Amino acid sequence: MREQVMLLVIAVLLLVAGCAEEQGEQPGVMKLQAWVHAGQQAERLVLEEQVARFNRRQQGVQLELTLIPERSYNAQIQAAALAGDLPDLLEFDGPYLANYVWQGHLRPLDDLLPSQLKDDLLPSIITQGTYRGRLFAVGVFDSGLGLYGRRSQLLATGARIPARPDEAWGAEEFSRLLKELAKGDADGAVLDLKFNYPGEWFTYAFSPIVQSAGGDLLDRRHSGKAAGVLDSSESVGALTQLQSWLAAGYVDGNVDDAAFVSGRVALSWAGHWEYRRYKEMVGDDLVALPLPDFGYGSRTGQGSWCWGITATGDRAKAAGTFLRFLLRPAEVLAMSGANGAVPATHSALAQSELYGPRGPLHLFAEQLSGGISVTRPRTPAYPVITSAFQQAFHDIRHGADVRTTLQRAAAIIDEDIADNKGYP
Amino acid sequence: MTDDRHGRTLIAWFFIAPGLLGLALFVALPFLLAVGLSCTNLRLGSPLPLEFVGFEQFRRIFSEPTLLRALANNGLFALVVVPLQTLLALGLALLLNRRLAGLIFFRTIFFMPVVFPLSLVAVVWVLIFAPGINGMLNSALDVVSLGAWQPRDFLHDPYLALPAIMLTSIWQGMGFQMVIILAGLQAINQELYEAAAMDGAGRWRQFVNITLPQLRNTLIFVVLVTTVLAFRLFDQVQIMTQGGPRNATTTAMYEAVQAAFGRQQVGRGAAITVVLFCVAVAITCLQRRIIRQERQVS
Repeated sequence: MREQVMLLVIAVLLLVAGCAEEQGEQPGVMKLQAWVHAGQQAERLVLEEQVARFNRRQQGVQLELTLIPERSYNAQIQAAALAGDLPDLLEFDGPYLANYVWQGHLRPLDDLLPSQLKDDLLPSIITQGTYRGRLFAVGVFDSGLGLYGRRSQLLATGARIPARPDEAWGAEEFSRLLKELAKGDADGAVLDLKFNYPGEWFTYAFSPIVQSAGGDLLDRRHSGKAAGVLDSSESVGALTQLQSWLAAGYVDGNVDDAAFVSGRVALSWAGHWEYRRYKEMVGDDLVALPLPDFGYGSRTGQGSWCWGITATGDRAKAAGTFLRFLLRPAEVLAMSGANGAVPATHSALAQSELYGPRGPLHLFAEQLSGGISVTRPRTPAYPVITSAFQQAFHDIRHGADVRTTLQRAAAIIDEDIADNKGYP
Repeated sequence: MTDDRHGRTLIAWFFIAPGLLGLALFVALPFLLAVGLSCTNLRLGSPLPLEFVGFEQFRRIFSEPTLLRALANNGLFALVVVPLQTLLALGLALLLNRRLAGLIFFRTIFFMPVVFPLSLVAVVWVLIFAPGINGMLNSALDVVSLGAWQPRDFLHDPYLALPAIMLTSIWQGMGFQMVIILAGLQAINQELYEAAAMDGAGRWRQFVNITLPQLRNTLIFVVLVTTVLAFRLFDQVQIMTQGGPRNATTTAMYEAVQAAFGRQQVGRGAAITVVLFCVAVAITCLQRRIIRQERQVS
């Protein structure tokens, strides 16, 4: 008898606890939920201000932000989707777009954004947000990737300073430069590859050298498979070159993320987000350079966090209002001012001090508009592709045979694509 | 009489009901679900229909060397950490089980790592193991060896990465075992020691003939729990080495999380956890059997 009573008590408690989570909504006010990644503090503060500004302007809509740690972001989204708990607005990292669309979480934005606004977006942002011909996401900013160096230190070795992507150092030239720099360095480590970063960095930052060599993560035009492309001699060659820099001891482990600012290394392979910190430490001696050219021209990464809408009906319309608000030139510039990223609209870019024609980071804008930056593969298989590439990269870092490592990575990717029937 | 017994059984059930309910909900049910899922091709968020694939997931994970390497790492980790950590915890407990100035201070200090979140501990140890001569451990070894030490990149060295994780784990987990053993020590009747001293037994004989036998159950508990925790090893690996270099520190749990959440292959992840569960249960049973046999002999 008693345990039955007990069970009943527990059941009632569970029910009460379940109900308590459902909050009553104020009549007439639509509460929108948005999930964002907990990025740099400056970025977070600006976004919170933007939401506050938006909420003040709106009568019937109130937006609420939930911050989620970056490292487990995709896992959290997958779990929420499983539980049917996705928010109305979702910020996510660009390359996951195809996967989320395929899973049916996002709605197209075509009818929510005026065409004039769409025309104002950078082509790279449109490419990132488009899957199978429809626009599903817009970013407020895009990313820039390159090498940072100290001009004086580079000139001292007799190196030329490339100003534009088509002037990039060749891979051999770059290797010689590293050797030259290492001669005058205390520990011989002169290059920072941001090995302290987690996860996605490695695909973002190092798949461009594979593409620069004529390889890729997978065959985007024809078969859609990784075998024959990711493990092609071009890809193998590029990563073997990189492995040789590691073997020669040119690369700093950078556990403390201070390799460049403390002067331990001469060159740092990094994104736009490091510009401010580096500028503060290095001053006018700082120079942003294109990544080395492995044969087919310098290539670089592109894409960043962007916004999609999961809501339907009126809530989707309200969410669209928020996206239009975020894409006003002033708001785009506010965010770009906080995180140093490339503004996502032409109108904002024109006003940007960093990225304008005479700006110190004009290179990054040029890379985006000049077809130098490569969008990561827009396929629902991307989570597997990036996981396999990261694993392969770490193995190569630790001295594994490049060809067999890439063959294994290609096999993992192709097996997943086959398991999913080619992601129909 | 029978009525009374019946009543007592009922009360007994009543008291163990919450425990059983917890076990059923959080151990038995997830395990059965994992067994079920491991026979499917479940993918996180996939709109494709779920398919029954039989033992395909198991065939796959055993056709690659990674999981076997992970299980071997788990085994090696347990083999080193369980005895070492238990011995060190016993030593600490013995040291702290006496009247000593500042006793509370020392006990707190040694217990503190247990209270810290494992992720925080791992991050701190990443800095301790930093490569180059300026790394904390490297420079300490340099001083101790009078400059003979060659700086190593501990977490990226195929032979040192797993030992580095072992060291972190022992440092972090030791305090927990220490507290349990300390409780065991304090439960020993002091009269036993007094009697032994009267009989002329020295410190060592007292330890071997009184302390150890009296601590028997405590030590068995500690060893079992540490073994189970050793097979669950994940946090340190995730933060310190991500399974590298070249799988030198990967563990079954790490592989399962990578499959299920990194590559969204839940079916595969479930299969790995089923294997892990079976291995852990088998080893625990084996341990219990060995310990029981010893009891019969003595």
